[in-house]
Amino acid sequence: MYDFLIFTVTIAGIYAIMALGLNVLAGYSGLLNFGHIAFAGIGVYATGIAHARGWPVLVGIPLGMLAAMLLGWAMARLGRRLATDYWAIATLAVAEILRTVALNEAELTGGANGITGIPSLFESVPGPWNQVYFTTLVLGLVAVAAFLSVRLGDGRFGRALRLMREQPALAACMGYNLQTLKSHALMCGGAITALAGSLYAHYFNFAGTEFMLAAETFVLWTMVMIGGIGRTSGVLLGVIVVQMVYAFVPFLRDMLGFGSDVAGSLRLGMIGVILLCCLLWRREGLLPEKLRNPA
Amino acid sequence: MLQFLVDALLRTADLALITLGLSMLYGLIKFPNIAHVQYAMCGAFLAYAINSTGVPLVVALVLASLLTGLLTLVIQLLVFDRLLKSGPAIAMIGSLAVSMILVAAVLGMAGSFPRMFSVPYAEPLVIAGARLSKTQLWFVLTTLALLAVFVVLLFHTQVGRAMRALACNPALADASGLNATRITNGVTFISGMLAGLGGSMLALSTGAHVNLGYDLLLPVFAAAILGGLGNPIGAVAGALLIALTETVVTNINFGPLFGEALVFLPVSYISAASFLILLLALLFKPYGLFDREVRRV
Repeated sequence: MYDFLIFTVTIAGIYAIMALGLNVLAGYSGLLNFGHIAFAGIGVYATGIAHARGWPVLVGIPLGMLAAMLLGWAMARLGRRLATDYWAIATLAVAEILRTVALNEAELTGGANGITGIPSLFESVPGPWNQVYFTTLVLGLVAVAAFLSVRLGDGRFGRALRLMREQPALAACMGYNLQTLKSHALMCGGAITALAGSLYAHYFNFAGTEFMLAAETFVLWTMVMIGGIGRTSGVLLGVIVVQMVYAFVPFLRDMLGFGSDVAGSLRLGMIGVILLCCLLWRREGLLPEKLRNPA
Repeated sequence: MLQFLVDALLRTADLALITLGLSMLYGLIKFPNIAHVQYAMCGAFLAYAINSTGVPLVVALVLASLLTGLLTLVIQLLVFDRLLKSGPAIAMIGSLAVSMILVAAVLGMAGSFPRMFSVPYAEPLVIAGARLSKTQLWFVLTTLALLAVFVVLLFHTQVGRAMRALACNPALADASGLNATRITNGVTFISGMLAGLGGSMLALSTGAHVNLGYDLLLPVFAAAILGGLGNPIGAVAGALLIALTETVVTNINFGPLFGEALVFLPVSYISAASFLILLLALLFKPYGLFDREVRRV
């Protein structure tokens, strides 16, 4: 039970960092990124590849963040001429292409087997304490990410992003280069998400393509949407709600004794239903974004 | 060579009906409905379920496509009509939610194991060395017939004209006294039917499985965007182009380039090929290959 609790908290923490990354894009800037998991995948694989090449284990984290920033820049370039809905589909395609490449370039990524044996971060610490240390590290990083996200959102950059979301023409009039804003937002959100991806790889000691399925992006979107898009505390609440649903399903399975297909469907269906209800009746989420009153 | 053409044609038939429906509906509701490919998956499972109760296959296909049309219409009325009031971005996220729910429902009821239709085995036809099974032949013929019917409907009837008018200029169509709601509902029903039929005919050869929709998502969107979203005939051309590319990419021997005898691209890169076309299309021709409209933005 204790292990399960630690596991749930750690996973929730990692997802929280990813969701905060998505919030910079979707919440502040209004960018429909449907390929967000690609950033996390880059983090996962950066750590994995760094390990496979025999480099020091921590090199993977900055490497992943750099690669994610590069991808973010490229995605922003892609979006230069596209309307938002077209761009959303393009990002979905980018994520799927990266996943296909990761699945097939066996020399680099281990193909379908993935990269195994990635060391966890506190190998030398004995017993259950390494888990506790890792969870503490994750939670600390969540706090840092949340703090940065609030600062970012309330600062000049965040206000510029919000202005771009609400009134792109006005933002351009005020001298903001929308393209630069977009690419900075993507690089920023991407780097945060890649960090979470690296943590994921260290936690599971494994890098594989299962982390990069499009469904994962949709889970992140659900977290951001139901909590309150554009507000840091809202996003954290959304992560907690979704993780509670996920943690609840195994208990339900043991109680009612149904198979793994039903359990999988129950997870997916519950997330879908929650997201849909939220869109239909409470579009701004449980904790709505607070916009400053102009008066 | 002929086998190559047959393969490309089969793949086109896989994509054409679903893409056609998606594109046609986009013209009226103006948001890309990600759940559309899941309607195809539902159609496949409905056809399987009806067929397994002993109903003849053809009847099962027709019933399944009608039911899918109905499902599409109900979802459109209950969910998307309301979401669209908050804008296309919200509707698009909503379509994600709908597609999750549909996949979850099918996964829960039918499981993740693929369901094969019990199609009687027949010797494949061999035309000048190209192999083609009877089922596939019927699939291609049905698709072609439906496309022909559709072209006639769209360009030579009152209903088709109303549909085109509404897609082109909703305000003017409304002012001219067209019943926009009725047309939209009709088109929704038809596009759902087409998706259901396309999905269930596809499942005749691959079996009905839960990932049917996800596998179709990007090729179908690539085809629809390539043809210009909202342009049904362009969508079919886009499907043809995607199918040709996928077939070319997997059949070309890259050996001479690398100085080796045989170098083929791994089959799993097929899907990447269509995504790549999609990206290129979005970069250079974001409004499709057949876009003639002048834009000042």
